[in-house]
Amino acid sequence: MHPMNAFKKLAVRSPWLFRINAGSCNGCDVELVATACIPRFDVERLGCRYCGSPRHADIVLITGPLNLRIRDKVLRVWDEVPEPKVAVAVGICPISGGVFRGGYTIDGPMDRYLPIDVNVPGCPPRPQAILEGVLKAREVWLSRMGA
Amino acid sequence: MIVFGFLKVLLGNVAKGPATEPFPLGPATTPARFRGKVHMDPALCVGCAICRHVCVGNAIHISERADGSGYDWVLWHNTCALCGLCQHYCPTGAISMSNDWHNAHLQAEKDEWCESRFVPYLVCERCGAHIRPLPTSVAGRLYADNHVDVARILRLCPQCRQIETALHEGVRHDDQRVA
Amino acid sequence: MELTLSALLHMLLFPGGVFALGAGLLLKGVDRRVQARLQRRVGPPLLQPFLDLAKLAAKETLVPETANRTAFLAAPLIGLTGMAVAAALIPVPGAYSGMPEMGDMLVLFYLLPLPAIALMVGGSASSSPFGALGFSREMGLMLAYEIPLLAVLLAVAMKAGAAVGAGPALSLTVVVGHQMAAGQFGFSPAMLPALAAYLLFLPGTLGVPPFDVPEAESEIVEGPLLEYSGPALGFFHLASALKTMVVLGLGVDMFFPTPLPGGALVNVCWFLAKCLALMLVSLTVARAATGRFRPDQAFTFFLKYPAPLALASLALAWMGF
Repeated sequence: MHPMNAFKKLAVRSPWLFRINAGSCNGCDVELVATACIPRFDVERLGCRYCGSPRHADIVLITGPLNLRIRDKVLRVWDEVPEPKVAVAVGICPISGGVFRGGYTIDGPMDRYLPIDVNVPGCPPRPQAILEGVLKAREVWLSRMGA
Repeated sequence: MIVFGFLKVLLGNVAKGPATEPFPLGPATTPARFRGKVHMDPALCVGCAICRHVCVGNAIHISERADGSGYDWVLWHNTCALCGLCQHYCPTGAISMSNDWHNAHLQAEKDEWCESRFVPYLVCERCGAHIRPLPTSVAGRLYADNHVDVARILRLCPQCRQIETALHEGVRHDDQRVA
Repeated sequence: MELTLSALLHMLLFPGGVFALGAGLLLKGVDRRVQARLQRRVGPPLLQPFLDLAKLAAKETLVPETANRTAFLAAPLIGLTGMAVAAALIPVPGAYSGMPEMGDMLVLFYLLPLPAIALMVGGSASSSPFGALGFSREMGLMLAYEIPLLAVLLAVAMKAGAAVGAGPALSLTVVVGHQMAAGQFGFSPAMLPALAAYLLFLPGTLGVPPFDVPEAESEIVEGPLLEYSGPALGFFHLASALKTMVVLGLGVDMFFPTPLPGGALVNVCWFLAKCLALMLVSLTVARAATGRFRPDQAFTFFLKYPAPLALASLALAWMGF
């Protein structure tokens, strides 16, 4: 194997997660916290860590249907994330608008504005599904780095 | 002392060992009644569209094909809130919720991420009209008190069904009068 | 010339630089894993800190438009070099006797706050309001935890010096040598309060819960580190790994320096094992079991408990116990 590729394979074993709440009802956010904080799921096993700053993020987990009020802030935070980055839409709201679809405050779905890479539908998705989404995002990240 | 309280908890935690599930490095445990992806059995669907009516997120779409050969029943997993109302209200039990939660998919797969079923129309044996199919289980319930040939009734359109039943009943009543 | 060369080698290879970096990162990996076990989790792979660094090296570094570019990018290097120098001053008993001609405990005392100062410089250069908040918190916390540190260093120096019949022996080489001859300070009743104070000082200086006030990610979104990304953030992590090694090594040298009879390699391992034990007692348990103090609670904590403990030891050492 090419040494650079081996290096990239090592690098993706440390995905740091960042959460963006784009007007979510908080259900998916609670599930993300459960994924992170409950010993039963333990994302740290995969080298994941929730970080407070978008500058440290590798995988961005987005929840919520993208309200008009929050749209520009979400886009701004997304721009703060250094490349290479991967976006994961968690829950049905960012993917399709979910039960809020067609509402007058909703500007989603998210992929109208952000290059979403992985979708994890559910209302909310269970923690294992989120873990699965993070693993898929890792593959996308690896291919984005060119390995 | 408080200090020793938390030390006891920590030591207990070490002694008990990790409580982490093997997933994603191993198999995951899923409760049998977990509400996961919705499945639909086209053999049981009568096309009543109550599922579309009760769906909170408008995830279910039913559209008739232009050539009249049947209708497409589509449920978008990306809009489904997994509330289970469709399953609850489905009169024939065509809709069921599996405990399959493997729902994460790549963006490229987004447009195919749905439960899509085609329910073909039947052709009436008498008049040739296209009719919505009626599953045997439902028909058995409907015609439980009638002495009709259920299998034949099912292959007829509602109108022909009426005629058939009327003819049959008439014959039966005549028989009774004779007796 | 020869002295400079050997000093450079000590800073870059052993015990500073490469060795301290590797050991510090490994210790952090063990720390995270043990912490996970204490919380009934499995935890990350042992080499996770190395993987994190590999990842950070592969990311891009963003510099805010309004930031002072030079100060922003130089800040992590200040912390890193400061700690590499400090690591060269820490004797590894039985393998490396320190560089008394280069600096003593007072120099260490001045070098130790460098990563914190680098954090403050970086935070304020980033022009982020959260960086400024982190700056003020780091500053307050530093003022609080430097007092017990100074008292502990003086107590140890006083005790080591008293035996020689001179003033305080500030050279770590002398402190280690004295303990190898006259028994370790960690088992001397008069120095136990100082040991306790040092154990409480460790989480404070390393920004470990409950003292991660300046980098509180849920309150002030990682404070000074907020704007750092990619390799620049990696340098902060390197500096933090080096600092972990330096303060733990300093603790071992001050309280439990006695080497094993055997070669240098055995003693390096023995030294690392003692650092590990010190880390598990003071850092891992605190990290696994506590939340975060409010800034004022963290500040008063250091003045309330470690400072009087260290001063008690200092007084006892002064009186010749």
